[in-house]
Parts: sequence; C-alpha cells; structure tokens
Amino acid sequence: MQKINKNVVLALLSLTSLVFLLFQLYYYKFYLSQKNGAVFSKVRGSKSGQDSTRWHVVRKFLGLISSHNIPVYLIDPLILGLVDKDIEQIRTSPDGPSPECKYFCAPRDFTTFALLDKTWKHEVGLFRTAEKMGFQWLKIINKDPRLDGMDDLSGIEIPLHYIFKLASHAIHLVVFYERSGNYLWHGPLRLKQHMDRKFVPFRKLHFGRYPGAYEKPELLLVSIDDLKVQIPKNPSRFLEEMSHSRFLECRYREARAFFQMYPDDASLDAVEFRKKAKSLLHLAALTLNNLGVKFWLSSGTCLGWYRQCNVIPHSKDVDLGVFIRDYRADIIPAFQKAGLPLKHKFGKVEDSLELSFQGEDDVKLDIFFFYEEDDHIWNGGTQAKSGKKFKYLFPKFTLCWTEFVELKVHVPCETLQYVEANYGADWKVPVKTWDWKSSPSNVQYNGVWPVDEWDDVIQIY
Amino acid sequence: MDEWKPNPTIKPHKKRSWYLAWKYKLMNQRALRKLCQTGAVLFLLVTVIVNIKLILDTRRAAYEEEEESAQDYDDEMLNVEVPRHPVSNKKVLDVEVYSSRSKVYVAVDGTTVLEDEAREQGRGIHVIVLNQATGHVMAKRVFDTYSPHEDEAMVLFLNMIARGRILIFTIKDEGSFHLKDTAKNVLKSLGSQVAPFLSWRDMWTFVGKKGGEVYGEKHAKSPALSTWGDPVLLKTEVHLTSVEDAECHWPDTELNRRRKRFCSKVEGYGSVCSCKDPTPIEFNPDPLKDNKVFDVPVAVIAGNRPNYLYRMLRSLLSAQGVNPQMITVFIDGYYEEPMDVVELFGLSGIQHTPISIKNARVSQHYKASLTATFNLFPDAKFAVVLEEDLDISVDFFSFLSQSIHLLEEDESLYCISAWNDQGYEHTAEDPSLLYRVETMPGLGWVLRKTLYKDELEPKWPTPEKLWDWDMWMRMPEQQKGRECIIPDISRSYHFGIVGLNMNGYFHEAYFKKHKFNTVPNVQLKNVESLRKDAYETEIHRLLGEAEVLDHSKNPCEDSFVPDTEGRVYVMFIKMEQEADFTTWTQLAKCLHIWDLDVRGNHKGLWRLFRKKNHFLVVGVPASPYSSKKPSSVTPIYMEPPAKEEGAVAVPAVAAAEQT
Repeated sequence: MQKINKNVVLALLSLTSLVFLLFQLYYYKFYLSQKNGAVFSKVRGSKSGQDSTRWHVVRKFLGLISSHNIPVYLIDPLILGLVDKDIEQIRTSPDGPSPECKYFCAPRDFTTFALLDKTWKHEVGLFRTAEKMGFQWLKIINKDPRLDGMDDLSGIEIPLHYIFKLASHAIHLVVFYERSGNYLWHGPLRLKQHMDRKFVPFRKLHFGRYPGAYEKPELLLVSIDDLKVQIPKNPSRFLEEMSHSRFLECRYREARAFFQMYPDDASLDAVEFRKKAKSLLHLAALTLNNLGVKFWLSSGTCLGWYRQCNVIPHSKDVDLGVFIRDYRADIIPAFQKAGLPLKHKFGKVEDSLELSFQGEDDVKLDIFFFYEEDDHIWNGGTQAKSGKKFKYLFPKFTLCWTEFVELKVHVPCETLQYVEANYGADWKVPVKTWDWKSSPSNVQYNGVWPVDEWDDVIQIY
Repeated sequence: MDEWKPNPTIKPHKKRSWYLAWKYKLMNQRALRKLCQTGAVLFLLVTVIVNIKLILDTRRAAYEEEEESAQDYDDEMLNVEVPRHPVSNKKVLDVEVYSSRSKVYVAVDGTTVLEDEAREQGRGIHVIVLNQATGHVMAKRVFDTYSPHEDEAMVLFLNMIARGRILIFTIKDEGSFHLKDTAKNVLKSLGSQVAPFLSWRDMWTFVGKKGGEVYGEKHAKSPALSTWGDPVLLKTEVHLTSVEDAECHWPDTELNRRRKRFCSKVEGYGSVCSCKDPTPIEFNPDPLKDNKVFDVPVAVIAGNRPNYLYRMLRSLLSAQGVNPQMITVFIDGYYEEPMDVVELFGLSGIQHTPISIKNARVSQHYKASLTATFNLFPDAKFAVVLEEDLDISVDFFSFLSQSIHLLEEDESLYCISAWNDQGYEHTAEDPSLLYRVETMPGLGWVLRKTLYKDELEPKWPTPEKLWDWDMWMRMPEQQKGRECIIPDISRSYHFGIVGLNMNGYFHEAYFKKHKFNTVPNVQLKNVESLRKDAYETEIHRLLGEAEVLDHSKNPCEDSFVPDTEGRVYVMFIKMEQEADFTTWTQLAKCLHIWDLDVRGNHKGLWRLFRKKNHFLVVGVPASPYSSKKPSSVTPIYMEPPAKEEGAVAVPAVAAAEQT
C-alpha cells in the first residue's frame, strides 16, 4: 500500500513536473523566437531553424536598407571567408541559384555590413521602418574625429555603429567615413553609460574594438544564397587588410597642451619647411606603397606626430622605418626615379642598413632599416668619418595606422614606448640641438666597421 | 520570422509516450522499481532545478526587455518635441517687468530673462515672447524706436508672432520718438491702453497675450522734456495653457516634426510656424544638368543673427543645383537659436568657441570653419564660402558650375566670387558676362583647397593679431597678383545691416542699390575667354571696337554717355602710376558706385555699364591698355574736393568692412 502509494505519488509528481517542464520548454521556445537568443544560447533550438533565422534576418535587413536606398556592403569576415573560397564561381555566375544556404546560414551571432557615410542621406524614417519590421536597434554615436584636431568646435557627434536585432540574430552596421589622406575610417564602439550592455554580446563583434583604417574598396554585386549583396571585389585582400587595420588617432588634446607650453613656430621658414617635409613624405609614401614596402614614421617624424600632431619645424629631415625583411633592392632606383637621389647609404642588408635620399632644398629623407631580435628590435647608425657603428634599441612593437599631414601612414602602436626609448622620459621637452650619436637614450656603441668593408658600407654621394 | 515555426514542438509527445511505455514495462520488476523511484526523485530534482533556472532566465530576459524598451523610450524622448502633460496641469507664471532710463529687466518665475543696464545701448522698446504653455523665452528683441524705421521692424516682428503667445514690453531710455501711429495701433490692438499716448521719455511696461487677455500695464509719464518718467515695476501673473492648445496640428511627417520642434522653441519667423498654411521648409529646386559643383562643400559662416541665417538658408536651399548634404553652417559661439534654424532645415551645424575679440574673432572663426570643411570633405578640391547675411541667387550654383573649371586650370586665379563690387542697378546689365578683377570681393566665393592648405592655413593670422581675414587675404603677400572672376550682375545680395562692421547708413549707401540676378539658368558667355591670356585678347578686341567718348564733357553728367543701347564706349582717365586712383575715386563717387577703396580693376581698366552700354574706363598712362588712346584725347583728371568734410570716419568703417 505504502509502496504503491509512494510509487503512484512519485509517478504522478513526475508526470506533472514533466508536463510542467514541457510547457516551460514550449514557452521558452516561443520566447526565443521572439527575443534575442543570446542569453539562451546554450539551449538553442534545432540547427536548421537557427540557420534559416540568420538568413531571414539578413534578408529582411537587406530589404529594409534597399527600401531606403542605403548602399551597404558585406564585410562580415566569416561570410567573406566562405565566399572567398568560392569567389571564382560566385563571380562567374552572378545570378545562379545556390543549391543550399551556404553562407548566410553559417553559425554566428552577427552579420556585419559597412556603410559609406557620404552615400546616404541621414536616417530619415529608417528606424521607424526598422521598428515596424520588428527590428530592435541601437545607435552608437561619438565625436567626429575629423574635427577632433580643432579644439574649439562642437556640435557634431556622428553615428559610428548601428546594431539591428531581430530574433536571435543581429546585424552590425559599421559606418565608414572618408578622411583626409584618401582612406576610410570607422570608429571604435564605445557604449555610453545609459546604454544596454546586454543588447548583443558586444565582445564578439568583429569591428569596433579599435577604430580602423581601410582603403576604399572596389565593390562587386553578387548573388549568394539567393540574396543580392555587395561585397568587396577582392574578399581575401579585404580580410587581410582587416587583420591589421587598427587606427590610432593623433593625441590632439595633448598636442594642444604642448603648444600652450611651447608656442608653435609660425615663422616663414617653419611654414616652408613643413610644406616641404609634407610633400617629401607624400612622395616617399607613394614610392614605398607602389613597391609594397611597409614603412612607419620613425625618430623625429614620429615624435612630431606623437607630441604635436605635426612636423617639428626644426627637425630638418623626414625619418621612416622599414623592417629589414621588407627590404627590396629596387627601393633605391624607385626613389631616384621619383626625383630623390641617393645621398648616402650606410651599412648593408645584413647589418645596420640606412638609406638617405636628397629631397628638395636640403630636406633629407632617412630610411632606417629595423632588425628584429627575440626580445627587441634595433636599427643601426654609422659615423662616416670614423666608421663607428651605433645601435638603437627599441622594445618590440606592432604597426598601427594613423593620419599625418593628410596621409594615412603607419606608426608603432606602442608609440609611447617607442618614443621614450628613442628620446627618453623628457621627450615632451623640445630640444633644438640633437646629436644622433649621443643624444638618443637607446644608443649603444656597436664597434667599428672593418676598414676593408668601408667602401661598401659607407657610401656618400 | 513568419515562415519559420519552431519544429521541435512535436518531440515532447513522442518522448512522453516512449517514457510511459518504458515505465510500464519495468513496473513489475522489483529490482527496477527501486531504480525507478530513485530515477523519479532525481527527475523531480532536475525538474525543480531546471524550473528555477528557467524562471531566473525568463525573469532576466523580461527585465532586459524592459530595459530595452525603456531605452527605446529614452531615444524617442530626444525626438519628441514636448511631453504631453495632462491638461489639468495648469500653472501660473510670476512675471516682473521693469522699465527705467538706464535699466530694464524682465524676470519670469524669479529667473531673469532680460537684464540690460549697459550704458549707451539697448535704447528703445524691448520685447520678449514667451511660450504660453511652457513659459520658455521664444524670442527677445529690442527696437530702437527712438531712431527711424525701427518701429516698422517692430510691427513686422509683432505680426509674425503666433496668436496666443505671451508678449512682454518694456522701454529703456526712450522709445517713442519715432514710434509712428501704425506701430502704436498695433500695440493698442494687443490690448495696451497707454501705447497710443506714449510720449517722449515715458516709461512703460506691458504684459499681454497676443489676441487675448492683458495681464498688466504700467506707465510713468515724463514730467518735462529734459527728464525721464519714474521707473516702473510691473508684477503680474500669467496663466499657462496646455501644450495641446499651444501647438499646431500638422500632419506627422519628418519635416513637420522638425517644424514643430522649431516652432515650440522660437518665435519671429512668421509663416513657417503658421498652423493653417505653413511655408515649406523643403524646397526641391530643379537639379542642374551636369552640375560640376554638386560635390563642392558649402560653408556658411554665421554669428548670432538667426533671422538672417533663416533668410539666407531659404535662398540657398532654393537655388537650383543645391546639395543640402554638402552644406555646413559654422556658428561662432554657443548660440541656440541659429542652431535651431539650422536644424529646422535639416542641415548640419557646428558651433565654434569664440577665440579672441572683434575682427580677430571673425578671422579665427573663418579659419576653423575652412579647416573643418576640408576635413569633413577630404575629397573636395574647392569650398564655397558664404555668410549669413547674403541672399543667394537662383542660378548661383549654375554660375559656379560653368566657371569652376577655370579655378582648377588657371593658376593665375585666386577665387571666383559671386559679388561685383561695382554692380549696381545702374551699372550692371548682362547676367551672362564675367570679368577678371585684381581685387577680391568675397561675399559668396569659391576657395581652392590647395590655396588654403598650402598657402593660407599655415600662416593664417594668429588670434592676437587683430586682423581682418579678408584684408589679410588681399595683402600682396597672400594674393600674389592673382585675380578673381566675378559676374557683371552679382549672384549674391548683401542684406545684412546689423553686422559687426556695418551701420545702417553704410548699408543704405553702398549695398541697397546693388543689382542681384533673379534669372534662372543663365548661360554664361565667353567663359573660356577668362583665362589669363585669352582675357587680354578679349580686352584688346573690346577696346578695338569701343567708341571713344567725348572727353570735353563732364563724365559725371548723364549726357556723357549717348542715349544708346548695347554699344561699347571707352573713356580715359589720368592715372600716373599703378596706385594712382585719384581720378577714379572721384569718378566712382559721382557715378554712385563703390568709392571707399579701389575695386573691380584689371590692369588699370574698369568695366561697367552706363545706360545699357558697356562702359570702359582706362587709366592713362599706368594701364597697359593706354596704347589704345587716340593721341588727340587728353585723359580726364578729376581733383579730389579740397575740403574733406569729415569723411574720415566713413573710410575708417570702410576699411573694416570689406565683405
């Protein structure tokens, strides 16, 4: 009796709880289809359902933006990666029906699109339509960096990112801006205090951790998974570009503080030098970019960027750094062709290479080659009359993009360490007398070139 | 979404029946019964745990949903004009108005909204407009009705105010000398009993609703001509109405939302806020075919003259070929109302912290605006620079589109300007004609980016140099002998009078009679002949065909030029060297054209129209065109008047005012 009772009770209880559980599961499922699934990602529904959700959300989004004539293009690294594998096929059959949902159904939390700011008239009515279609949206705005260099302007905050969320999938729309230097820029994604930090798992976004700089892409209209969408013409190049697109804004505020302490030299000489240095830098950048040689602002030019966002008028030359692995023999002829004759060449490819080109009116272009070691990076110097060698040590660094005198160029991301290594802790104080053999704080005496090598390693023109 | 249905809903049924079958099958086996029981208990436990987790999750999700909707709401809040309070929320405002010889103030609910005790300014009738629902100040004006015509401006302003607004009036110093009957009647119609009898140095305050009640009026008569009336202080209460009553009910469109936001904030813009038949704020002028300036950014330089800015932007946005997306308005200072105007038209505006003082402040504002423009539009090769006190001709962009390639190709050009300094009603005739001039007129002009970036920006005058930007740009170090292209008939009109550098007389004399093109789609002629060398050929041709006027006559007389039309005439004046403008200045004076400094010349040649004939003036012997002078002709010499009748003050103004 007791046992039976117990069994019956247990069975009944189990049954009730089971029913209850099923009811909850059902409700839960229902809830999922309405709400973002991010919170519930562990208990996701069947694969096919989720896959088609993604496809549907993308399709709806494309419908939304085409109804407002907003030209977007796909920059989702995951999908572009898949597309890239079949790029030939996609290119040749632009309208061909795809047998299965191969790209837009791939598992992911977001689909990322890009939007060129100047190609659309601002959001009149877009969000209303989006809401009617069931999207939830989030807009991330911030200061306009194009006006950041100017201390006294205000009133302009620009949209940097939009996120449209529907069901368990979200669309991340990155707004790209054209900037001086003929490149595209997107801003970082930073949430303001009142914003919903759980709107989407922001950490998983592919864009927005840092600002980024890109070339203007050529676009291609393709049809994938029955959806017509614009993609970068060369997805693999875009993906490659994306992997090192991080952008550093110049420290305008600090630069202003610097100029308050040390007023800028506005003399005619300074204006002239800056103009020449700028055009020399533009020419050098053009030449090296054509060769595909990666370079960065080094020494005084880098300090000028970091400290005052401008060329230091008393620096008298332009300094660039290049990794020795990027060295190419045709650098010298290319510069000569560009109208910059070789002034001197110190060292050799294996050791302490340094090239100097003669720009217009005594403005010199120095290219230092950097050698990577396990725990540091160094470049060499040579004193012509004595054959003495010097070594300048730097902590390891990676390269970031920045904008300098209307040019998109690389600088070391870890700029402070780089500048401090070179100029010591007092780099903020302008120094007019500078001796490259003794002034730098990272200089080391590195022996003397053997006399029989002098003809090779000390060439002066 | 709609096509997709969660398919696993079938599963649980299957699962249940399978479970029951399995359970029954094992029921009789004793050894398994125990297992079953344990299993059931475990299952129950799991259920409880899962349930708890579910409840927590659901609650979290629900909470988030709430947050999201709350945030949506926050975002919406920015767009909603006025929160809709229930009607029952009637409020009372305490209003205090003070009028005296040297000080006026107005306080609303204890907050001073007007206080003026500055000496030698702010004379006349101060008017404040309050929103009848919120009590916010919507407009603040002072009309110096001691001086002529100010009362007309006041009538105009009062007529533009929407019915139902609360109006506050107070007089500082004197406000009746030129207060004509029309204006007095308008004040009377607002409910003032004193207004018709306002007289010399009376003090007066008045609070009333337009088209409605009077909340109070106080008046103190001046006892004698030499003294002022006693100060008066009016304290009264104003009942606020509901927001609903204070607003118009326009159809809910994006445009009307902008309009609503604007109209609930500011007053004095007339029909744009009219409930019945509001004037459009979107103009959709015809696009230009082959518009070469569609992508050229337009920088509008503004100060705190929102009514001017309003008028300016209307004309700008009505010009054919305008591209609103390229327009940026730069406001010198953190003024709200100009920004409201900018937003009304859906344009982008940037505020600029004022740096330095007076002319240097304008200079710094120009620099910041130009730098920002080229930063915002890095692709642009040019920028159009406009000011807030200009009307823009309907074919402004068409004019630029046809001529801008010259600025790109001809290195000897400094700018293209829409303004002809010498283009008055009686001296300009041909809308399709362009000139090359050595001076830089400004007032609506195009700047080349390379010129700005490479030459001007790096050495722009610093704030401590109290220079005019335009004077600086005209200095030979900057201009370097380069010329500007201008039209015969100006494509801009300078309507401003209350600017930093302007006074009413000055405007009347030098700007009011300026000719302004109103013909759309003018096809410019001979654009190619404006290139450096081609222009010389053109001038020689022109001088070759020109008839030499009778130099024995007085050039100031109308009869100097025969009563013909469409002919070309030339006269020769004395001009000893390049900088000798003695005769020209006298001639300009008697022709009633710009004479405060030399404008519109090209190598000692001036081109204008008289009686619809092209009229050329050549300075001999300084001009290279002197060779065209027949040897029989003696160049005319006109002496400056011996006595400078206090004219010193005017050129001083002129020196500051060049734009």
